[in-house]
Amino acid sequence: MVNLTINGKPVQVEDNTTILQAAESLGIEIPTFCYDKRLIGHGACRICVVEVKGARALQTACTVPVAEGMVVETHSPSVIEARKETLKLMIENHPLDCLTCEKSGNCKLQDYCYEYDVKEGGYNGEKKNYPIDDSNPFFTLDRNKCIMCGKCIRVDNELQCTGAINYNERGFDTHVGIPYDRDFEQSTCVSCGNCVSVCPVGALMPKHPEKFRAWEIKRVKTTCPYCGVGCQMELLVKGNKVVGVEPVNVDPNNGLLCVKGKFGYRFIDHPDRLKTPYIRKNGELVEATWDEAYQLIADKILETKEKYGPNSLGGFSSARCTNEENYLFQKLFRAVIGTNNIDHCARL
Amino acid sequence: MKMLNVTINGTVTQVPEGTTIMEAAAQLGIDIPALCYLKDVNEVGACRICVVEVKGARTLQASCVLPVSEGMEIQTESPSVVTARKEILKLILANHPNDCLTCNKAGECKLQEYAYRYDVKFEEHQGARKNLGIDTSNPYIYRDNNKCILCGRCVNMCAKVPERAVLAFGNRGFETTVVADNNKTMGESNCVSCARCISVCPVGALMDSRAMNIARSWELQKEDVKCAVCEHGCDFQLLKRNGKVVAVRALAAGEGRPLCLKGRLTVDLTYNDNPKTPLVKKDGEFVEATWAEVLGLDKILGKI
Repeated sequence: MVNLTINGKPVQVEDNTTILQAAESLGIEIPTFCYDKRLIGHGACRICVVEVKGARALQTACTVPVAEGMVVETHSPSVIEARKETLKLMIENHPLDCLTCEKSGNCKLQDYCYEYDVKEGGYNGEKKNYPIDDSNPFFTLDRNKCIMCGKCIRVDNELQCTGAINYNERGFDTHVGIPYDRDFEQSTCVSCGNCVSVCPVGALMPKHPEKFRAWEIKRVKTTCPYCGVGCQMELLVKGNKVVGVEPVNVDPNNGLLCVKGKFGYRFIDHPDRLKTPYIRKNGELVEATWDEAYQLIADKILETKEKYGPNSLGGFSSARCTNEENYLFQKLFRAVIGTNNIDHCARL
Repeated sequence: MKMLNVTINGTVTQVPEGTTIMEAAAQLGIDIPALCYLKDVNEVGACRICVVEVKGARTLQASCVLPVSEGMEIQTESPSVVTARKEILKLILANHPNDCLTCNKAGECKLQEYAYRYDVKFEEHQGARKNLGIDTSNPYIYRDNNKCILCGRCVNMCAKVPERAVLAFGNRGFETTVVADNNKTMGESNCVSCARCISVCPVGALMDSRAMNIARSWELQKEDVKCAVCEHGCDFQLLKRNGKVVAVRALAAGEGRPLCLKGRLTVDLTYNDNPKTPLVKKDGEFVEATWAEVLGLDKILGKI
């Protein structure tokens, strides 16, 4: 265990804890852009800098481990000045677009500019001018809004392990991209959207036909219905319509989703969605009740089994079912119907 | 009452004579944008954002003030209406600070709402811009005339307070601004800080100083309360963060002579665990005061 003092408060934490984590244990909030507890420490954005007594320069709280007797100030005048300067440099080269930006209200850059009262850069410097990449069907990349925190790249490489995106070029021209600066569509990207979920600003944004502001939506926590993993996610609901999905950073998915969970929600309000069973009568599909449908299925199974024997039947289960449901399904086929003809779509 | 038949966006409806197009549309659930319109207070048709297309009319009509007539056919979101609204928003934004990044009104601002709805952004231009100072001379009212869109709500609201009418339009043309008592600062003027102007400002030109720089509107939970100081029962709002009251603000006036500083401060003292020190005007200057003094409780407390 290591003893240190943060903002005058003594605290005891385990060896190899970062200053950021030690501060968190005291309830002291240090701003971060590039930090994510699931990722390897990066220390790139410099917004988390703190003053460590005796250190030559301000230290990044997200990467520097605590040491015995350390004296840390998280909001001293020099720290605040440094954070303001960092924000000024970011906002200098960022479109001032909060008026209509889809991220507004949910943007870390906006939050910290408000907190540290930074309105503009004031340097009159060069501005990025990249075209918006909207080649992916599910999200857009506006590199002009990117603050180079690298979260998207690290989530892609460290957690999703697709390795589709990385930094291109160097210095001022550094930008997030795929090899040879092609469009997303031509990359190995699997559209999982995990880069979109971690983007702290409006650079990576989901495509959605509905217009909504962050403050108009209600968040409803639920379990993804697509497969048996049971990923935790929040539905973004405007009025009575689901307009987006964000992952929740808890077990089992720890803030990750796949393309289906992240972007496959539009079936909910789709006009073609089947809401009742249909039964073919005289060559026409007509609406039926569930009782009618189940009765028909049971009758047909019994009829086929009597006529041709149990092995004339086969069961094919779905990955959308839970393990328990799949277990019951094979039990139904083996024990009730009496056949081992049972399979599952995930085996294909 | 005579009923009139009107068609709005293809839907036929019947409304009483004297109903405005905006009210008739609202009955059908059609939302027409409005910046200046405020029922019974500011029905002036000034901002033009509410224009609609009326079949047979020479130009687009301001729906907030035009009463319907028999057989009227109205389109509220036709291409020409949308083009006009976009142009109006562009003209307003051309002379409005690009400050949503840190503006305290962001999230509750009508200009922001409509700019988003009609996808109008700030544009670079060589034209003139207002460059007026921010008036913080009144500790309760933050006034930034650069953000003012000259809708006139505050002017007509202030005129409704007997013996006040502090706010008025000053100058003409591009130079037009809302002025307080012949262009004095709010602190020097006869303003009694009743906050009625703040409660009606659709943008960030007039804001409650004591509820500013605390949190973004979208971080706050809001709870409406009634002021209990007098029988008028004005509406106030508690601004809560993580369940804790961090500020209060005036929402709407009750009947009679409504909204006053005393009510504003009483609600603050009643609900806010950490209210800022009140200030009171003495010899034309705002000075820090005790709660007993500003709420007029000195005599009673003396007797106790």
